Amino acid sequence: MSDFEKKWSAVLSQAPVLKAYKNYVGTWEKKIGSFLEFDPNRNVGKELPEGPLKGIPFAVKDNIAVKNFKLTCGSKMLEQLVSPYTATAVENLQKAGAVVVGKTNLDEFGMGSSTDNSALGKTNNPWDLERVAGGSSGGSAAAVAAGLVPFALGSDTGGSIRQPASFCGVYGLKPTYGVVSRYGLTAYASSLEVIGVLARNTEITKKVFESMKGQDPMDHTSLDHNPSGKSVKTIGVLKNTHGALSPEVSASYEATIKRLEKAGYKLLEIDLPTLDYVVPAYYTIATAEASANLARYNGIRYGHAPLFAENPTELMKKSRHEGFGDEVKLRILLGTYVLRSGFQDQYYVRAQKIRTAIRQDVERWYSKADVLMMPVFPTPAFRHGSTDMDPFQQKQADLYTCTANLVGHPALSVPSTLENGLPVGVQFMAPPFEEDRLFQVSALLEKEFQAPEAPGYLTDWS
Amino acid sequence: MYQSFIGLEIHIHLTAETKAFCGCNARYGDEENTNICPVCMGFPGVLPTLNEKAIQMSYLVAKALNCKLSPKTRFERKNYFYPDMPKNYQISQFTDPVGRDGHIDIEIGDTIKRVRIHDVHFEEDAGKMIHAGDMSLLDYNRAGYPLLEVVTEPDLVVGEDAEAFLKSFRRMVRYLGVCDGNMEEGSMRCDANVSINLQGAGLGEKVEIKNLNSSRFVRKALNYEIGRQSEMMDAHKVIIQETRLWNENRDQSEPMRRKEAANDYRYFPEPDLPPFMPSAEFLKEVDDSMCELPFARKQRLMSGHGLSSDQAEYIHDEKYRADFFEHCVFAGADAVQVYSWLSSDVKKLLNRTGLTLEKCPLTAERLAKLIALIEEGQISGKIAKTVLDYIFEEDKDPDKICDEKGLVQISDPGAIGKIIDEVMLKNGDVVQAIKDGDLRQMGFLVGQVMQASGGKAAPQVVQSVLKEKVLG
Repeated sequence: MSDFEKKWSAVLSQAPVLKAYKNYVGTWEKKIGSFLEFDPNRNVGKELPEGPLKGIPFAVKDNIAVKNFKLTCGSKMLEQLVSPYTATAVENLQKAGAVVVGKTNLDEFGMGSSTDNSALGKTNNPWDLERVAGGSSGGSAAAVAAGLVPFALGSDTGGSIRQPASFCGVYGLKPTYGVVSRYGLTAYASSLEVIGVLARNTEITKKVFESMKGQDPMDHTSLDHNPSGKSVKTIGVLKNTHGALSPEVSASYEATIKRLEKAGYKLLEIDLPTLDYVVPAYYTIATAEASANLARYNGIRYGHAPLFAENPTELMKKSRHEGFGDEVKLRILLGTYVLRSGFQDQYYVRAQKIRTAIRQDVERWYSKADVLMMPVFPTPAFRHGSTDMDPFQQKQADLYTCTANLVGHPALSVPSTLENGLPVGVQFMAPPFEEDRLFQVSALLEKEFQAPEAPGYLTDWS
Repeated sequence: MYQSFIGLEIHIHLTAETKAFCGCNARYGDEENTNICPVCMGFPGVLPTLNEKAIQMSYLVAKALNCKLSPKTRFERKNYFYPDMPKNYQISQFTDPVGRDGHIDIEIGDTIKRVRIHDVHFEEDAGKMIHAGDMSLLDYNRAGYPLLEVVTEPDLVVGEDAEAFLKSFRRMVRYLGVCDGNMEEGSMRCDANVSINLQGAGLGEKVEIKNLNSSRFVRKALNYEIGRQSEMMDAHKVIIQETRLWNENRDQSEPMRRKEAANDYRYFPEPDLPPFMPSAEFLKEVDDSMCELPFARKQRLMSGHGLSSDQAEYIHDEKYRADFFEHCVFAGADAVQVYSWLSSDVKKLLNRTGLTLEKCPLTAERLAKLIALIEEGQISGKIAKTVLDYIFEEDKDPDKICDEKGLVQISDPGAIGKIIDEVMLKNGDVVQAIKDGDLRQMGFLVGQVMQASGGKAAPQVVQSVLKEKVLG
């Protein structure tokens, strides 16, 4: 057991450590608000299964089900909902000995890049409280960056793990689509999203991934994990399109290239002409699926219901009017629009064709390169509100991350540098099931540059 | 004159033990909201898992309807809002249903008609709304039941055709064991589309009649609707596309909603379920579950066992009855005799006891034995009816009953002679009258002898011995 693991496993097994831990979390939470629900006491003194993560606490994004914890999805609609069941991925981690200590904040139903779209709380970036933690897994990223948990689960539909990981200076893995069961992940865009990990280092990211993956009878789209075992020699580097990236991100990107060269990798410059189509295709497909997935919130069986309604139609209308935030309403309407009868060929079907073209565009490089490297987001963490980036610009900036979701391939965001006191990350993408290639590159880079500690971060709080 | 076109959409509940996409019981009549789980209630984060048994049944029905079976069947979301539908979309099939382009032959009166099948697709059912005063209650037990929808081409002409089709279809799914066909309990439901037009002008404006819960209502509703539309055409009124409901109390159809309010279902591929590709093994199991279908069976009962069309109609109506019949015949009983017993005395007893042929004490072996006892002259037809009663009461073999009850027929002329002697002694005047030429009185004496023997005397022996003794 590493010192890191020793430190964390003491939290739930030694009363004085738990007390110190709660103090530490409390101090941070006043500043960053990463948790929507925090309760480390629940499993104190309980017998834990022997496993690679025994006694290690972790946090779960509040759109992933954990029995007897709330499942708010950051929405007024589900503010009071307590989950009657546990997601398979969480259950797998519990079998490995890990312990859930709380649920983290997010953009409502995972829709957003800042966590400012949460209806239930404000999350700040631990590096700069004026700035966002990123999104939609902003709560998980902030909690890991502040040292409140060694790892946290997030979900990644279009970059929702990698972008906040980059903003907060932690590692963020989006696994291959289907390798981690989606059972228990509140659906936003089913064909794109996966449960993934935000963590302090490569090793724990890998360990968590290994523990939670696996085919699940509750998820018919889940797959067995069949890696090739191949090691990385050549890295395809997306041409740095100056101007599209902020100077900070551009500088960080170049720094990573130098480190990779120094490490002895063969670098290959690649281009992806389909990149221009990623955002439109992503939003067409994601919103179409969202419009169906969110139809179940009608105020009848659970969730927010109006005080009075004359008939079922009014009940549904009022529930949604009162329960959903603007971004959610926008995406439902957009999705309903692109699916309406007579217009499917024009929007939805065309987006699916573009998706295939993007896959072919990406896959042609795998014969030459073992992994691909790309920026995560064009800028470091932006400020709250719309001063730096308005919601439309935020969507346009998703092009690098959405690619991996559209094609279903694994991708990992790795902290690369600090620029003007803000962390910046870079991401690597690999063929399906080749998460291990990502970990190889990440571990090597980690020797040069470890996930930075946010100001006020303590390795030892006791 | 006008031409009418009728197409049917039939929904059947598959008799799978569990729901279409989760492990909850699919059982009728349980207490409200007891067969539910996060999956069938559409809780956040749950996913559907396909019930393979139900899909197998679906392929079986598609095969029985001579459809092209899909090598890759897909699932789609059909979006619409209804309070009893947990996800507010229904997982259904659209682009690649289980089967399409099939047909089925049915008998309508004396003719055989081929009805084309547009497609057979698998989907889930919704829950049930119960309106009580100013409240509406919801029961989700039925939400997620595996449902199969069979859509016909508009090949039927009048209500009688539709009724005959439904009866044949119901019989077929019961033969296949995939649905109990109970329209009252909603395990089989039917919507009908009807349009009329001038001869040769093709399909007219379509009117849909929803929620018909008996084949009789289907006939009445369609004939009413054809009449209504004909009158409108006569009066040069425009028929509008709409959905109507059959009011069984008033015997008329009434408007439910107009086309303007038609739903846009926004079908799109269900991302949570991969397409289902039946393996060779799966298809072999489908083949192995196939049975001889009712139409073919009826033909064979007529050609192979010499039954008339009406007799075969009765025998083949239920698969178990037809199996029972053939079992009896195989055991040596005469086909028409078996038919007679099944359609009269056995039927009466079943009605009286409330039992079914499957669950009653009468087995095919017992009926065959009973018929054999008559043919061997061991018992009379009349005694046989008594024996049948005892089989139902005591659950024993007919020969054992005859032994125990002493019901074996008396056919020994000596023994019968003794009884006749006694009867003649008591009825001297009748004997004299016969001797004087009034032969009509003979029947009276036969009756007396039968009575005196407790019904056991073989009637033919009685006849001949009596003739000999009285007339010499």
